[in-house]
Amino acid sequence: MKRNLRVIGVLVLVVSLSFIFVSGCAKKQVVKEEVLTKEEKATESAEAVARAKEESMLKEKALKERAMKEKALKERDILLKEAAAFKNIYFDFDKYDLKPQMREILEEHAGWLIQHPEFKVIVEGHCDERGTREYNLALGERRAEAAQNYLVTLGVAKRRLTTISYGEELPLDPGHTEKAWAKNRRAHFVVVTEKK
Amino acid sequence: MRKIISFLVFLLVFCWSCPAFGKIYIDIDSPSFQKFPMAIPDFKNLGQRKDAENLSANLSATLTEKLRITGFFKIINKDAFLEDQDRAGITADSIDFSDWSSIGSEFLVKGGFQYNGKDLSVEFRLFDVVGGKQITGKKYWGKPEEIKTMVLKFANEIILALTGERGVFETKIAFTGKKGKISNIYTINFDGSELAMVTRNKSLNLLPHWSLDGKKISFTSYIRGNPDFYIKDLSTGKSRMIMGFKGLNLSGPWSPDGRKVLLTLSKTGNEEIYVMDLARKKLRRLTYDSAIDVSPTWSPDGAEIAFVSNRSGSPQIFIMNSDGSKVRRLTYEGNYNTSPCWCPGGKRIAYEGVTNGCFQIFSIDKDGSNLLQLTFENGGCEYPTWSPDGRYLAFSAKGNGETKICIINSNGLNLRVLYKKSGLEAIYPSWSPRLKLY
Repeated sequence: MKRNLRVIGVLVLVVSLSFIFVSGCAKKQVVKEEVLTKEEKATESAEAVARAKEESMLKEKALKERAMKEKALKERDILLKEAAAFKNIYFDFDKYDLKPQMREILEEHAGWLIQHPEFKVIVEGHCDERGTREYNLALGERRAEAAQNYLVTLGVAKRRLTTISYGEELPLDPGHTEKAWAKNRRAHFVVVTEKK
Repeated sequence: MRKIISFLVFLLVFCWSCPAFGKIYIDIDSPSFQKFPMAIPDFKNLGQRKDAENLSANLSATLTEKLRITGFFKIINKDAFLEDQDRAGITADSIDFSDWSSIGSEFLVKGGFQYNGKDLSVEFRLFDVVGGKQITGKKYWGKPEEIKTMVLKFANEIILALTGERGVFETKIAFTGKKGKISNIYTINFDGSELAMVTRNKSLNLLPHWSLDGKKISFTSYIRGNPDFYIKDLSTGKSRMIMGFKGLNLSGPWSPDGRKVLLTLSKTGNEEIYVMDLARKKLRRLTYDSAIDVSPTWSPDGAEIAFVSNRSGSPQIFIMNSDGSKVRRLTYEGNYNTSPCWCPGGKRIAYEGVTNGCFQIFSIDKDGSNLLQLTFENGGCEYPTWSPDGRYLAFSAKGNGETKICIINSNGLNLRVLYKKSGLEAIYPSWSPRLKLY
């Protein structure tokens, strides 16, 4: 009997302990879950307000930036258009020296380029069809270099300038007259935006 | 084509041709050279097949055409022939040479052909009409579609027997074909056949030059935007950029030993001539002058280089040693002389110069003597290039709104249009070395 009681006592202890353990655990978990849910909800709504504020600020900033960028692009386009109207300079047959009138044109170009340091220039050298083709490739290079060097002496940074010769291969006027030849013996300026 | 040709076997069948070798019948290099009158009657059908009559005329017509373009022969019109062709044979003992000498012919080519199943054999015999004897003879076997190859092989034999050097039928001319803002490089055979494109892009491709073995072509291309130097391997079809300095990278000729190329570079801000070792890609600068230096050409022994410079005010041709030393001026006549090309014989240099407001081709001894104007075309001629035997010059000729490639004999005679196409400017010709085409 005494032994039976001990067995029952142990059983009761085990059952009750396990009940406490099980129910205790379950209860704790449920509560914590609820709290977590509440906390989450609370922070979410607070964050949402802050975020909305920030977002609207960012949006405003972005819009402002975009407007500025657009304005800059528009300005750049206007400038590029201006630059596209850069006058060619012309040379005498088989010559690459700069005549006074041509120097004046280059001085205008230099003034503009100094004002707008964000642009680079490709100086193209061209010839008329009368010379020898291969020799004209060299002559075109000389014409481009002559123009480039004068721009440098006028204060345009050399790193902003490059030259390329097309010899007589890309005439402006395909004619075979004195007038066409005079048009084709030229240095042409291609203004481009600075590469990143 | 090459595969088919490898089928072709040829045999020297007539050994009594040998004594004729060594005697040069035609001194084509003499300034007083006159074309030699030759008769080429229709070939004889030596076989049984009856349906081959048009081959008789076809063989003689093809040989006539190929010999005519050499500029060495005056082929006599068939209407003038006196010989009874049904009775006469194709060997010396069956020919009455007076039939030919009386119509002014000094040379005679006779031939015959025979079908053996699907194969065709053709024999050719060249006779000295005045001496009444055969000079050379050959027989070729092949497929009927190889007639042109057989004819060209014998045309080369005729030229070898009469002039002491083979013809240049197995050569090509590279050139630039330009339309608007695009130009590509082409090649074409000496007889005007087999036009092929070497480059195919939408930029400017200029200044082709052949490697010594004829397997590569170097050129300048704007494909990357800048005029850079490229070499294309014709067997693999691959192009490679070799030099891409800022500014000009102008392609020049390959050295006679095949190991170097001449280039014009403006990387220092000044156009100068350089020599590049092809294996090591190592550059050596040859000119040091503030003027323009451009358009170099090797002497055939590689010891000297002619080039263009405006160091004396206007563009003129100069010669220097191949290490850049001892620069001396070659041309004094006229105020615009450019595009020198050194003759493979070594003595003469061809170039273009302005006369009466128009470019023409001239040649001059390397010591500045014996100046000779070779072309007199209205629209002007530019950029001469010698054939590997030095007997012809190809150049670019303008006129009637066209720019075409023409060939003349080295004495200026026998102008022939090699290539023309309306709307395409054909410029910058460059003659290949001897190739194996047939």
